This record gives sequence, C-alpha cells and structure tokens, in this order.
Amino acid sequence: MMQANTSPELSAKGSNAAAIVSVQGVSMVFPNGTVALKDANLEIAQGEFISLIGPSGCGKTTLLRLLADLIQPSSGTIRIGGKSPEEARKARAYGYVFQAPTLMEWRNVLSNVMLPLEVMNFPVQERRARAERMLALVGLEKFARHYPWQLSGGMQQRVSIARALAFDPQLLFMDEPFGALDEITRENLNLELLRLWRETGKTIIFVTHSIPEAVFLSTRIVVMTPRPGKIETVIPVDLPQPRTFETRETTRFFELATAVREALRKGHGYEVTE
Amino acid sequence: MRISPNLVPMLVVALAVLALYWPLMYLVNIPVAQRALDTGAALPCQTAFECATQLRSPVLPSPQQLWNGFGNLMLPLNSPNAIPINAAVTAFETVVGLLLAGVVGFFFAIGMVASRAFERALLPWIVASQTVPIIAIAPMLVVLLGQYGVQGWFPKAIIAAYIAFFPITIGVAKGLKSPDPMALDLMKTYNASPWQTYLKLRFPASVPYLFTAFKVAMTAALIGAIVAEISTISFQGIGKMLAENSRASDVVAMWVIMLSSAVLGILLVALVNWLERLLTPWRRAAGGAAVPAKQARLSRQEGVG
Repeated sequence: MMQANTSPELSAKGSNAAAIVSVQGVSMVFPNGTVALKDANLEIAQGEFISLIGPSGCGKTTLLRLLADLIQPSSGTIRIGGKSPEEARKARAYGYVFQAPTLMEWRNVLSNVMLPLEVMNFPVQERRARAERMLALVGLEKFARHYPWQLSGGMQQRVSIARALAFDPQLLFMDEPFGALDEITRENLNLELLRLWRETGKTIIFVTHSIPEAVFLSTRIVVMTPRPGKIETVIPVDLPQPRTFETRETTRFFELATAVREALRKGHGYEVTE
Repeated sequence: MRISPNLVPMLVVALAVLALYWPLMYLVNIPVAQRALDTGAALPCQTAFECATQLRSPVLPSPQQLWNGFGNLMLPLNSPNAIPINAAVTAFETVVGLLLAGVVGFFFAIGMVASRAFERALLPWIVASQTVPIIAIAPMLVVLLGQYGVQGWFPKAIIAAYIAFFPITIGVAKGLKSPDPMALDLMKTYNASPWQTYLKLRFPASVPYLFTAFKVAMTAALIGAIVAEISTISFQGIGKMLAENSRASDVVAMWVIMLSSAVLGILLVALVNWLERLLTPWRRAAGGAAVPAKQARLSRQEGVG
C-alpha cells in the first residue's frame, strides 16, 4: 500500500504506463473566451497524493472538474485508469468532495453516507454495513443518527468524505474541502486525511490555496498560475511518512513551503494568502 | 393552569382589537339609533347610547349581539342551517380542491423545471388564468360541468383548485430548482439518472417549499370555494349561508358567518402546519428556520478532531 507513495521523482511529463491519471495537452476555453487552462500536462501514479495549488483563476478547480467529467476540455486528452473521464465517471472510478459538505438536510448522517450506494443500487443489506464502516473510518460512528445541522462544519465535511469513499472508488477528488474551516480544525482534518490515505491506499487529488496544507499533505505539488491558467511547475515533496504535527516544524517543511511560494511568484507575481 | 408564553401576545392583540372595536361600534351606531328614535320606532330602549347595541340592523353589531348570533347559528350542531355542517362542507370542498391543485401544480412544476420552453409557453396562460375574476368564471364553469352531469360539491372543489394551483405551481417549481449546483454535480458524479436526481434530490428539497405554497393555496382555495358557493346554486356551505343572510339583510348573521369562515381558514392553515411538522422532522429539529440552525452549528464545538 505504501510503496506507490514513495515515487515523488515521477516527472510531470514522463510517460508512466502505471499512471492512473494522464493529462495531455489539455486546454479549457469557456464560451466567454476566458482561457481557464492552457496546455496542461500531468501524469499521476496510483497511490499518490497530489495537491493543485495556485491563486484564484489559475484553473485548479477547472482541472479537477475536467478530470471528473463535470466539464469537457476544449482540446487535449484525459485518461483516468485508461478510460475517458466520461467512462470513468460512469464506472464510478472517483469520489468527489466539494468545497461545501453538500449534505442532504433531510437525511441523517448515516443515510447521507448511504446516498451514493442507493443511487448505485448496492444490495440493501450491504449499504448500511458500508456506511457504518465509513463513518467509523472518519470517527463519526456515534453521530450516525444526527442530522447535518447538528454537526460542526468540520464534522459535516468528514461526513462528506465518508460519503465519497462509501462506494470504494480508486480516486478521491477534493476541491478545497477544508477552505471554509478554521485553522485548528483544518490542521486536525489534514492529519486525519493522511491517515485515511494511508489506510485506504486511494489516489488523492486535492485542490487548495494554502501552501502549508499542500506541503503537509502531498507527495507532489502541482503549482498553477493564472491568466491564462497553466501548470507552472511540479514540486516533489520528500517529507518522510507518516507525517505528524511535528512535520510542520522541520527545516525541510519550510524549505519546501518557500519553494512553492517562489514558484507561485514566478508565475505572475501574485501573492498567495496562506 | 400554566399559560403558554405564546398565548400572552395573542390575548393582548385580541383585547386591543376589542378595545378599538367597542368605541367604533358606538360611533357608527349612535346616529342610526338616534334616527330610529326620532322616527318613533318601537325600541326597547330610551337613549341613543343604549339603543346603539340593540339595533336590528346595526352598522356594526355589538359584541353581545355577535355572541347571541353565534349561539343561534352554531346550534343545533347537526342542523342543516347551522354553521358546523355548512363549514364542514366548505372545508371538504377546500381540501379536495387543494389536493387537486397539488396534483396539477406538481405536474406543471415538473414540466417547467424540465423544459425552459415549456415554462415560457405555459407561464403566461397560468398568470392569465389568475387575473380572470373568480366570481365571473365560477358560474360558467358550473354550467360547463353541469353539461356532463357534474353537480353539487365537486364543481366548487374544482373552482377552489382553479385558484389554488397557481401558488402551488410556482412554489413547487422554485422548490425543485432549489438544490444548489454542487448538489446537482454530486449526483452527476454518481452517474445518477434524471429520475434518481428527482427522487433523491429535487423532490425532497422541494418539500419545505411545497408546504409554504400549501399555506398560501389553502386560504386561496377557501375563498374560491366560498365564492363558488355564493355565485352558483348551492344547498350547503358557508357561501350559501352568506348569500341567504345577505338576501335577508341579517347583518349580525353575516358578521357571525364571516368570522366563522375566518376561524375555518385559521384551522385549515393550522392543519397544513401540523402536517409540515409531521413530515419534515429534520426541520422541526432545526427549529423550522435556517438561521437558528446555522447559529446552533456555529456555536457548537468541533468534536473529536
């Protein structure tokens, strides 16, 4: 489960046969003429934790939505596990965690986690067992009968992660999932997410605009810059696993954070808020 | 007995209304009483002030007259000329009308959400249908339905439905469109079929809107049923009683029936409120409003991190 995580040397453009996600020459131009993404190239191996970082308008969310087949590229090729994004979506290859928890307010926590299983016609007796297992994984088994409004923002987002993992997809796409949370909650959830990643062996693609978050979580950081949105560089993160609270205080952590910050600055001179 | 805190403001408002009504009643009745005394009518009173509360056709009935009127019109409970049976008939027409309106409104709303073209084509007709005076269209509908042997309470229910379907259509359409784009994207990532998206997302999301629409539609349907009873041949119902007593110029009875229909409206809306609490338990938990729920969430501490 761990060996795939130790391949940060994997180059951005290297043609890796084992790549689970392959992005080649992808551009996205919106109907109003905005170039959201220009000539993006990226290979992601099984089991990696990839962060997409950059300021607003750099195309990081666009890239994630392209991978998820929520929008279609103007040009270029995307392969997810050898399939087109549409085929991958229909094969339920990925779970998607949105910026907001998007829980159904009329369903309790357990029933929210069972939603994808209902839609995907899992056997009735299996739904509950899986949902309960996922809630235990995110440490919310005691809150199964609560309604979403009774949970804090951080707990709601954990439910939404449990929901994304319920049908056991290979990939987890996360679009600034902790962006609306306070710093303390966010650091706790970062640690918990790393534990989830180790335990499940999923490949995670994580959009963020926080440099410390990206450095702490990732095996590689994809630095993106705006106008037009493009991939500036890819920075491998060689911090040892498993990472702990102390990881944030090491010299290497600061060096990597500085490298990301400089890459962001090089792109267009826009400051990134942390 | 403990008095509910909600009861106090209600009592204060009721007393204030009564306190305003009483002097107003004297103000408008005294000149009429004076004229009656001047013409030498046989009245069981000497002064205009005294007579103001005892006129046979007062401009505004005195509280005592209203009280006696209620006594006369409420009892016996099973009399075909008393309010209870007639109110029950009107309530029945109203509820059947509302359910009919619910079915029609729901299908229109689904069509409007599914197709922008359908919405654009339909909306002007729906709006136009509501601007036609109900009092004009009611007799014509009754004649039309009479052609096919539909008589009695059913045409009234249809007329009630005719004005009730508008708020329901608009409300449900808004409810079906209420899920945010992220929730719709979420369903797409599950490769959910359009039917699944309706079943799991759009329908449940529209339920609170449905109840809000039902409350508006319920009062509209009640007015529709009463107007239909007044403007067509009726043998039962609040509207029939209003029409009869209007012909008999019984002012006190008119007021009593009017107040009774107001109470009926309150009861019918309360019925919708009760159903809403029963069928949306997640909202009862949240206090029925978004703002307190949000505050509750924010004030709660983060759980096990």
